[in-house]
Amino acid sequence: MDFTLSSEQLLVQRMAKDYAEQYIQPLAEQIESENEVPKDILEGLAELDLFGMPMPEAYGGAEAGYDTYVVALEQIAKVSCGSAMIISAHTLGLGAINNFGTEEQKQKYMPRCCRGEHIASFAFTEPGTGSDPKQITTTAVRDGSHFVINGTKRFISNGTHPGPMVLFARDQENGKITAFIVEKFGEGYSVSKPWEKLGWHGGDLVDVYLKDVRVPAENVLGERGSGYPILQYGIAFGKIGMNAIALGTLLAAYEEAVTYAKEKTHRGEPIAKFQTIQLRVADIAMKYEASRWIAYRLGCLANQTKDYADFAREAAMAKVIVAENAFWGTRIALDIHGSYGLMADYKISRLYRDAVMGAQIEGVIDMQKVIVAGSILFK
Amino acid sequence: MNIVVAMKQIPDLQQVRIKNRKPILDDVPLTFGNIDRNALEAAVLIKEQVGGSVTVVAAGKEGLEDTVKEALAAGADQAYLIICNEQEDIESSISAKLLAEAIKQLGSVDLVLFGEGSGDNYSSQVGSRVAELLDLPQVGYVERIELTAGELVVTRSLEDGKEVVQVALPAVLTVVTDLNQPRIPSVTQILKAGRKPKKVMSDQELLGAVPTPKVKTLSNLAPEIKRKQIQVGTAVELVEKLQAEGFLGRA
Repeated sequence: MDFTLSSEQLLVQRMAKDYAEQYIQPLAEQIESENEVPKDILEGLAELDLFGMPMPEAYGGAEAGYDTYVVALEQIAKVSCGSAMIISAHTLGLGAINNFGTEEQKQKYMPRCCRGEHIASFAFTEPGTGSDPKQITTTAVRDGSHFVINGTKRFISNGTHPGPMVLFARDQENGKITAFIVEKFGEGYSVSKPWEKLGWHGGDLVDVYLKDVRVPAENVLGERGSGYPILQYGIAFGKIGMNAIALGTLLAAYEEAVTYAKEKTHRGEPIAKFQTIQLRVADIAMKYEASRWIAYRLGCLANQTKDYADFAREAAMAKVIVAENAFWGTRIALDIHGSYGLMADYKISRLYRDAVMGAQIEGVIDMQKVIVAGSILFK
Repeated sequence: MNIVVAMKQIPDLQQVRIKNRKPILDDVPLTFGNIDRNALEAAVLIKEQVGGSVTVVAAGKEGLEDTVKEALAAGADQAYLIICNEQEDIESSISAKLLAEAIKQLGSVDLVLFGEGSGDNYSSQVGSRVAELLDLPQVGYVERIELTAGELVVTRSLEDGKEVVQVALPAVLTVVTDLNQPRIPSVTQILKAGRKPKKVMSDQELLGAVPTPKVKTLSNLAPEIKRKQIQVGTAVELVEKLQAEGFLGRA
């Protein structure tokens, strides 16, 4: 057991930190107000290989592992959750193709995604279902050498960026869920305007409308009618990036709290001199320290796991702990700011909106607890 | 063109805390200074322009093999490392001897680049000393480098102006931060850095007998900073005070 980052991971951490501070930070307010990450930033992130970090070199990835991916994404999220959200959702979709795709599918889709020229999506949620695959209503009908897909997908990340989308639909021949690789912006593909989210601005979240979208039969991902394991993979692996984003928010809030405690004075003394403030700073520090190792560990487990059901339990536990710590830690940091924390002029107010997101996105907290309980009581 | 970049392993200054005016260096990771990164970036840009190789030469403590990965990721092709475990801080004259000897062993070298001063004690001596030991011309405060046939045209950033000089190769240049914006290496470059060739020697292996330091640091205290506690009554007065302190316009 060695709880240290390797020299390479420390360099990757600094690389991501340097890029975020030098190039994203100056545009943070613009990203926040326009709810869009500029193209230049995405290209810069791609040049640093952040769009293919855990993917194999053979398909254009950096093969750096999910643990190193978490270390890097945390630093990006610390400055811009929206930028990190784009990478996280992309890595989820791309990871599904890497894990379940045929050699031809990997060769066709992965290199351009790893180079950041295409950005992947993962489309499961629908207006009538969040976490229950039995409620999926999007249909796939075989028509010769193609499938014809109709339906609506809700809250889809990266829906506005060209690239492959791993999409789940009900196969009308057998009634089972099948995963497809759908190329975004083909005929019959359209999207809503982006949802105006509470936080994580810049990461687009849209509804996707599929009207008679024709997908070649060779774009079935995995076996026809066997979409559930891919969905299970996605539900679990998506949390790796979500944790990194929550962690980045918490780290930013932690630093804001310490800076404010040292700079803000009361009766001539920095408020850091008061024990009430000290206790709060200690609480944030402990939440961050516990969360980071849980988030990094999940990345390590992801490098090794072959049992996605078992990994889903680990991911669910990690998500609950990290997301709740991030939320409460950020809340405490806001408390240290007093009334100023409520003002948009203070960064902590934005971080608080970002911290709320982690608990709800990629499976709400309660659903994670149901997964954990099920693995203990009904295994 | 064969280019050598001399880089100094120093504590990561962003992580150094000051307590009782003394720097606390315990558990502070070691890295290279920012100006050294400018020197490396200049070398890599020249290599990309005309071909050749970039060798990092560095003297430092245990862990230098990890520290140098940063430079290898940022475009250096190989490294020559001198490990000095016996000394806490390497005196400039000894550092220069070590680096000069290492550069001699590299054979044909066209250009040697240094940061103008190291990020920690900024003695600004080592580049000049190495030039002297290697019997090479040296130009300092370099903020711009242009390569012509077998020569360099170099702009020096001086306190009251710019000086443009022509220097024949091989030469030693010491550079300032305005020279360039160092690149941020990609994940792949970082992961492959450890596989690039490195030669590692101890200071004793390189020099035989390492000279005894003749300069000893007795204390290293941060300046005392006191708040000025200037009080103002109006916005106009605030602007006047800020101007007087040199924070607005010209004092």
